[in-house]
Amino acid sequence: MKKSTRILALALVLVMIAAAFVSCKDEKDCEHVDADHDLKCDKCGADVPCAHVDENKDKKCDYCGAEVYGGYLESIEDYRAYMKADLKALVESIGSVSVDVDAKIKEAQTAGETAIDAAYTTNDVQKAFSDAKKAIADCIPLANGVFSFTSKSAAEKTEILGILEAYAVRNGITGITMFENGGYVMYNERVTLGTETYIPGYGFGVLAEGALTGELASENKAEWKRYYHTYEAADPGTANYLDSQGSDVGDVYGYIGGSYYTVFMNDTKDGYDWVKELAATEPQPMNLNEETKQATTWRFELRTDLKYSTLGKYADKYNNLAVQPEDYITPFKLLLNQGNDYYRGGELANGSGASYIVGAKEYYDATKEAPKGILDDSKYDFSKVGVKVYQEGGKWYFEFTLGAAVTEYYAKYYISSSLYQPVPKSFIELVGVDNFLQFSEDKSSTPVDNSLSLGAYIFEQWDSDQQIVYKKNPNYVYASTKYAIEGIHLNILKAASTDKEAGIKEFLAGKIDASGIPDTYLEQYSSDPRTRTTSGDSCFKLNMNALDAETWEKMFGENGIVTQTPKDQYWTVEPALNNGHFRQALSYAFNRDEFAVAKGSISSVNYLSSNYMSDPENGISYDMTDAHKKAVASLLEDTQNGYSLELARDYFRMALDELEASGAYQPGTPENPTVIELNIVWMYPTHEEGYHKYVKQYWEAAFNDESVCGNKYKLDVTFAVGEDYMFAYDSMMLGQFDIGFGSISGNSLDPLGFFEVLSSDQEISGSFTLNWGLDTNDPLGDILVYNGMRWSFDALHQASTAGAAVKDGALDAMYTIDSDIKAGADGSVEGTITIKYMDGVKLNEVDGVIFGTNADDYSDYNEVSVQSFEGTTWNVVDDGNGTITVTFKVAAADAKWFVDAAYANGIDVYFGYDVAAADIHVAPAYIKTVDITK
Amino acid sequence: MWKYILKRIGLAVVTAFIILSLTFIFMKMLKPERFVGTYSQRMAFYTSQEHSGYLVSTKTPREGETYVEKLTSKAGEETYYYSVPVMEQYVHWLGNILHWDWGVSKTIEPNVKATVIIGERLVTSMKINIISVLISVPAGIALGIWAALKKNTMTDHVISTMVMIFISVPSFVLITFLMLLLCYQNAVLPTQWPNPTDPTSQKVLGYILPVFCLSFGSICGYCRFTRAELCEVMESDYLLLARAKGLTRNQSITRHALRNAMVPIFPSILAEFIGIMGGSMVLEGLYGIPGIGGLFVNALNAKDYNVLFVDMAIFTSVSLLAGVFLDISYSIIDPRIRMGAK
Repeated sequence: MKKSTRILALALVLVMIAAAFVSCKDEKDCEHVDADHDLKCDKCGADVPCAHVDENKDKKCDYCGAEVYGGYLESIEDYRAYMKADLKALVESIGSVSVDVDAKIKEAQTAGETAIDAAYTTNDVQKAFSDAKKAIADCIPLANGVFSFTSKSAAEKTEILGILEAYAVRNGITGITMFENGGYVMYNERVTLGTETYIPGYGFGVLAEGALTGELASENKAEWKRYYHTYEAADPGTANYLDSQGSDVGDVYGYIGGSYYTVFMNDTKDGYDWVKELAATEPQPMNLNEETKQATTWRFELRTDLKYSTLGKYADKYNNLAVQPEDYITPFKLLLNQGNDYYRGGELANGSGASYIVGAKEYYDATKEAPKGILDDSKYDFSKVGVKVYQEGGKWYFEFTLGAAVTEYYAKYYISSSLYQPVPKSFIELVGVDNFLQFSEDKSSTPVDNSLSLGAYIFEQWDSDQQIVYKKNPNYVYASTKYAIEGIHLNILKAASTDKEAGIKEFLAGKIDASGIPDTYLEQYSSDPRTRTTSGDSCFKLNMNALDAETWEKMFGENGIVTQTPKDQYWTVEPALNNGHFRQALSYAFNRDEFAVAKGSISSVNYLSSNYMSDPENGISYDMTDAHKKAVASLLEDTQNGYSLELARDYFRMALDELEASGAYQPGTPENPTVIELNIVWMYPTHEEGYHKYVKQYWEAAFNDESVCGNKYKLDVTFAVGEDYMFAYDSMMLGQFDIGFGSISGNSLDPLGFFEVLSSDQEISGSFTLNWGLDTNDPLGDILVYNGMRWSFDALHQASTAGAAVKDGALDAMYTIDSDIKAGADGSVEGTITIKYMDGVKLNEVDGVIFGTNADDYSDYNEVSVQSFEGTTWNVVDDGNGTITVTFKVAAADAKWFVDAAYANGIDVYFGYDVAAADIHVAPAYIKTVDITK
Repeated sequence: MWKYILKRIGLAVVTAFIILSLTFIFMKMLKPERFVGTYSQRMAFYTSQEHSGYLVSTKTPREGETYVEKLTSKAGEETYYYSVPVMEQYVHWLGNILHWDWGVSKTIEPNVKATVIIGERLVTSMKINIISVLISVPAGIALGIWAALKKNTMTDHVISTMVMIFISVPSFVLITFLMLLLCYQNAVLPTQWPNPTDPTSQKVLGYILPVFCLSFGSICGYCRFTRAELCEVMESDYLLLARAKGLTRNQSITRHALRNAMVPIFPSILAEFIGIMGGSMVLEGLYGIPGIGGLFVNALNAKDYNVLFVDMAIFTSVSLLAGVFLDISYSIIDPRIRMGAK
């Protein structure tokens, strides 16, 4: 190498070293320090942003004058950290969508975190969070189309349930769970339980698998000394489960009622198995979808050895009488004859999905003016109702068709109601429909006389308001292997309805075999050898009205969607409850463990109690699943079963920051603090001492601490109660509350279906919505992701339970119906019915149906197709683009009956529909009544 | 006299009619019950209410009328439920009453005639109340006489003090305390009203607590009243005259003082009887007595109007008839009072 070249190379190296030395000084790598606050780095001189300082707490930077954080938390870093944690939790709740989308979400999250870090005010941090949330949402496409996840496996449905629950928890619409209503139960020493460990959804197996080892000394009647003695607070006055609204009648009837399938404890005594009871075989599908393993029509073989049992006055004729095939249909005819006015009949007829039996509604509607009793098939066509009994190959079968396809397990489940217990028509005619399963008008016959049993027990004696006694049914299918206890004595303990200690006092006096332990006796008896612990069937909650004033008016105002309230009765909402961090603080502030110990209940943060089964076939409680644990993780992390005073106070501080920043509250002074009043409406006056005092103490102690409220605010938790418990529920359902105590129980084998009560749409929730906060059909309100798409809560819930049309992530109508029907001057009727349906929906059997009569006695009551009238034109045109147009005309001269009936009742539009892509098949039914413009 | 009695009975019937009519109208004017539940449950409930004649349904809303409930099926079919006008229900109800059809129970014991339910329970309630009266009257009067005769002695002071204390304790408080003491802690008496299948001895024991608790207030009342009346009479001039005529103290008391003191006491027995019936409403619930008092409370809570009205009719009739007897009894006890005289 030449010397000049070497010098050049050396110079180059020196230049590079110098450049490297210089670059370490530049702003990129320098750890800027700006101790003199001149906005220049003290080391490298680069421009640096102001590291705001607000020592005089005027919310302005002491150096640059910019608006900065001056809130209730220790520093802006704390607030940023909490908001970044919220963002992280949100991203985690989304899970993995796809590689591309995941990357975009990560990018949006990182950008959001950077923006949060760069913000110095509460508003700016919140804005950064909202922007990040929106950016994340924009990464995920909105769901569009018709979907049905009804045939998903239990595991997949559990995953959906977890996603819905996480959304509900995040948005506060699950309320704040106080406790699960299980607790402590004492059993008499003579009772041998089926298992010592409580089985959720089954119990201890006292009657089916248990036994009594001795006599009850306090029982005066010798024959009843070996009966299991228990109590009810009130006499339901009837055993007619077919016409009951509450559960009390069901409880009394349950002992004598048999069903096609039932459950017994499993061999390992830690769960239960489904077994045949009145059915001889497992149900067989008649139209199985091989892919989903579901069917709508099922059948099972009838047993040939069933015999009725009774100890009543008709025992001569009916005791030991063999059950006949036609007896299986009688209860359906009894229920669905509207003339009998059976409550459960109306419920069955108006059911939906798999809880509906095809054709039930049509039969029910057609019997509006029918006489009482079992109707004659020649006058009232029962053939279209989806239950029938027939003989094939020498065997008798019972076949049933449900409103939606189900698996074998659910086919058993839906047909296994004791409402459907067979009964002979002649028995109904003998005792009379009005007297069936209850007292006659003059009490000359009792439920003992007017009932037949196929269940484990038979009515032996019924003394109104005093006692109901059952004797073991020797004809019961499992009489030799189950139900060893000879009888049941149900004492009517009226005092128990007002005195929570009445039951335990009777137990300790040796009058009954079991009783729950009220909190006042806990200390003395919780460790007693006779005591067992149980899980509950319901979680009791503090439900929230988290609406802002504007949304409240939209929901409940003068022209409210949910209900209409006169202006002078408007509820003044408490803005604090509209703040998510405030609600979360309330949850953290409630010491569940301490409360549960004091009240003898179970400490829980769960929305569903432990007896809700996400996989009922395998006895898996939803609360045990990972999906649930993930959904409630935010409530439990760093807490003692959801309680953390430290977190509660921090969340209150955050909430105050946000509420002040939004202008919802102005800080007061130590002498005159701004009061945040939370009024809790309770079910009973006794709840003031029993529950309210705890809640008040926990919340006020957490919030009113000077380190939280700075003596500028005061939390005041007040008590309210109505004349009865319904006042609390009414208040919640009508939006007239801040916080309301209550619980709703649903079908414990279908927790996903039960989640309908969280919807803000009353048609979905069945008017059971207790928590109000956000429109659950707004996919933009929060991010809810399933299958790589964004959904509204309602859309995903309905898609999972019934099938749903979804547009831009929100639940949409599968079809809409408009009509323009007019009466012609000559008395004819003509018009157009327009049905618009979503893409992928195929309508079939479109018809119009008229109900009506000419005669006063309804003797010619009929339902007929519009097309059946002579001379009628009925043209159905499907344009293939989502619109079916029906044009029709009925001439007055040809169909006066039709015209009169149509005027009176309108025309029922009738059709069925299929969505092949989503495997939705809905049988034709009366969809909507359209009126005639005169 | 008879004319007066008939007139009073007639007035009592009219008063009962007005009371029952107002009760019916006011009860029916209460806000109609709204049912909470799924669509199918609500539809079933309102259909049942319609069949019972409380509501009427339409498919289209009525102009200017507020509906009780609007149900919309998932298919968009709407059903509106309106209350049947109260007066229409009243006329219907009245028509039935005139035919002695008080209707059947809807919730307490569905399908059973309200009159049968009341009749069954009336016997139990009346037994307890009558026995209470039979015990409380002699016991209260005897104590009152004793206190009066021992006026201003230790005996009088003890009786008067006890009376003042126990008259302040309501029967349901007393029975709660006594149940705890005698039934649950010491197992001397049955913890609840005995069942029909229990032995007679048990049934007899079952009467002790409710009868005692119902009697207790009455005994104190009679005692206080009797003592006051007798003390006043014993200081009167005519009693001094009787003694001056040479009657012994006992003779003067039994022949003159007691007879005159009883004039205001006997009519109060009927008034006290009505009071006891009222007191048994709560007590029956606590001790599980299947009577009309507890039934009234249950029927009210369960909104079982037919049972409630019959129960109400019984209470009203007994009270009004007791008033009539009260007036008549004055003339029997005190001949100076002449009913209906002008």
